[in-house]
Amino acid sequence: MRISRITALPVGFSLLLCTVFFSMVDLGAAQKTRNLPSGSAFFASERLALIKRRGTLIVGVKTDYPPFGMLNHLGESEGFEHDLAADIAKRLGVKLSKVSVTGSNRLQKVQEGTIDMVLATTGDTAERRQIATMIEPNYYASGVTLLMPPQENAKDWADIRGKKVCATQGSYFNRTMQQRYLLDLQMYNTARDAKLAVKNGRCIGYLFDNTAVLNDLTKPEWKGYKAPLPPALVTPWAIAISIKERGSDFEKVLGDIVADWHRSGFLIEREKAWNIPPSKFLVDSYELWQKKDSAGKPFCQRGVDGAWNAECRNKIFLVSSDVSGLTQMGLWLNERTGINLTLIYDSFDRMQYLKGLATTLLLTVMCIICSLAFGIVGAVCAEARIMLLAPLAKAGCAVARMNPPLTSMYVLLFGVGSIYGISLPALAVVVWCLSVYTGGGVMAAFLEAAATFRLQHPEYQLRLSNVRQLAWLASGSVTASLINVSKATMMASAFAVPELLSVTTSIINERGNVGVMMNALLLTYLLIIFCVVRLLRNLENRVLEAAQTEN
Amino acid sequence: MNATEMLKHLYAWTPFLLSGFGMNILISLVAMAIGTAAGWVLALMRVSSRPRLKVFSLVATEFSRSIPTIVFQFYLAFMLPVEILIPSTNVILVFPVWVKAALALAIAVIGFTSDNLTIAMEEWKMGNTSAAFLFIPSWTSYALIIVMASSTASIIGVGELLSRCNTVINAIGNTQLMLPIYLYACLFFFGFCFPLTLLMKRISKIMLLRLAPKEADS
Repeated sequence: MRISRITALPVGFSLLLCTVFFSMVDLGAAQKTRNLPSGSAFFASERLALIKRRGTLIVGVKTDYPPFGMLNHLGESEGFEHDLAADIAKRLGVKLSKVSVTGSNRLQKVQEGTIDMVLATTGDTAERRQIATMIEPNYYASGVTLLMPPQENAKDWADIRGKKVCATQGSYFNRTMQQRYLLDLQMYNTARDAKLAVKNGRCIGYLFDNTAVLNDLTKPEWKGYKAPLPPALVTPWAIAISIKERGSDFEKVLGDIVADWHRSGFLIEREKAWNIPPSKFLVDSYELWQKKDSAGKPFCQRGVDGAWNAECRNKIFLVSSDVSGLTQMGLWLNERTGINLTLIYDSFDRMQYLKGLATTLLLTVMCIICSLAFGIVGAVCAEARIMLLAPLAKAGCAVARMNPPLTSMYVLLFGVGSIYGISLPALAVVVWCLSVYTGGGVMAAFLEAAATFRLQHPEYQLRLSNVRQLAWLASGSVTASLINVSKATMMASAFAVPELLSVTTSIINERGNVGVMMNALLLTYLLIIFCVVRLLRNLENRVLEAAQTEN
Repeated sequence: MNATEMLKHLYAWTPFLLSGFGMNILISLVAMAIGTAAGWVLALMRVSSRPRLKVFSLVATEFSRSIPTIVFQFYLAFMLPVEILIPSTNVILVFPVWVKAALALAIAVIGFTSDNLTIAMEEWKMGNTSAAFLFIPSWTSYALIIVMASSTASIIGVGELLSRCNTVINAIGNTQLMLPIYLYACLFFFGFCFPLTLLMKRISKIMLLRLAPKEADS
């Protein structure tokens, strides 16, 4: 036991210390190029001059992707992205000419120069940045969701772990979704087959791009169906212009326009106008671009190199040379080794993890205190010479010990909630159920100790005032029960309590750094348990000493 | 929904729920088998005369006691691939999610077996064979704790009793049925674990009573 303590503590400690320490160090990082004058960073664009001279902006748009780009019953093209294109033309003071493009030819057309820009549901990826200039900031984002039948009541990805989910073969997200969300994917050759399987109840939903699912939901065929899960693996969308325009004032003008769309709430307003369910991406962006620094200037600004400050850029496109300090070290390590320690270098992940740790510690302390209290009070009731109370307490103890706490949590949170229409606070229910279960064990230990004690002191009756006399006899198994309850607190993650396990899975979902996060979680828990064991043993010794001096 | 309708639903779904509970027991048995085997090895190392083995076993036991099974379940679910091709053979090892749950629970069993079997082996060495046999009822009681702990496998998506309850609620589509179904599930656990616990208590009491006069003799 001594040995294991020595080996495990330093590793766990250093991890935790790093996390705490760097939360202080990192404050000034990632701000290398802020608040410096700009202007000369961009060269004059030939393309922009051409657009102005011809008096027309030629935009590649989609016409087969409602509600983002489609043809109405008059045969006119319209949609969310068409409104955006019109606004750009208006701001440039030119007329708009739209060219219908497809997913496979859109970037090629902009490259050839037949169109000035593409505004056609183009996902912004590192590969596409090699062949086109993607305008930052991104103007929208799509993700993967589930098309689900009306009766399914899953609200979060955690609710469908291990469930059968229909998917189409070859979708880029299949493997990742399976790994990060632990889905049981049923592969179908075509989208049609997969959707039919959902209709026949062979799986609980169809895994697909959320914007395409939105599109399906507008059709009468899918009346009552829904897509309640928050989009996963979010891919941002960007306006694309020619690769030759990188660093030109055309890129700057477009970037400024999109930034203004976020600041003014134009995108959210257009989203609403087209009946698109509110996307978290737009809400978050609105908040970010509205933010002002202490001097009252917009927080998001271009630096001397013309790029937006790192905090306002999409994190997935940041490379180590874009930032400084701890973030740079973290990104550098990731670029070299693939080990992505966002937990340490990313301030958001770090804060989330520390908050999760705090919640877990709170849960642990509350469970230990309540279990002990329930156990002692229960044992005293069982020993009391009061009609009904004693047998009731004993029966309660048996029931409490023979019910898995997780089932009791379901009974209280969902069962009772569904009948009486009340929703109990999840954290309190978790503490209650774990404490009742463990309290049952503690109570049994005290009762057994009392029975043993009576062999020598036949007149002994357990009361709150003389519990201490049992300390020697009961302490071992009581401490063991309390250690066990501290190992069970992450049951709370099943009910969306933001403790360590929930936080870890949500960071994994966002970042995909499964290995790093799982190892960090395991280490952190080992550390917590070692500390809890040590503390409880110390407390136990103190109680025993006190009991001894008393006797 | 009135009471008879509710009972009808419960009756109709009982086979489905029972096979879910069968999964709980299967997971527990596999966990107990693996955990007991590994714990046995650790216990043998602990009572051996070679200090290195002793130290290794103590460290391993301490770790297996300290790793929370739920965390380890997630660890295995995320980190262990579903299939592993054993190098230079054609054998594919398959790890369905319930096996991962059983492996995670086995970790706790290893610690338990290592500790309790060491005691039993020491008793045996000293000639107290009947005291050593006390390991059996306490092992069975621990198995029941594992049966209850196996319900957490639902969190990583194993189709055991608790997750089947959710399936049934979804299939019937009536939220009023939630409370009776969850309570019904509680009854499964209670009905299985309570009588066995009483039995084990009785057995160990009888064993202790048999022990007592012998010790008085010696």
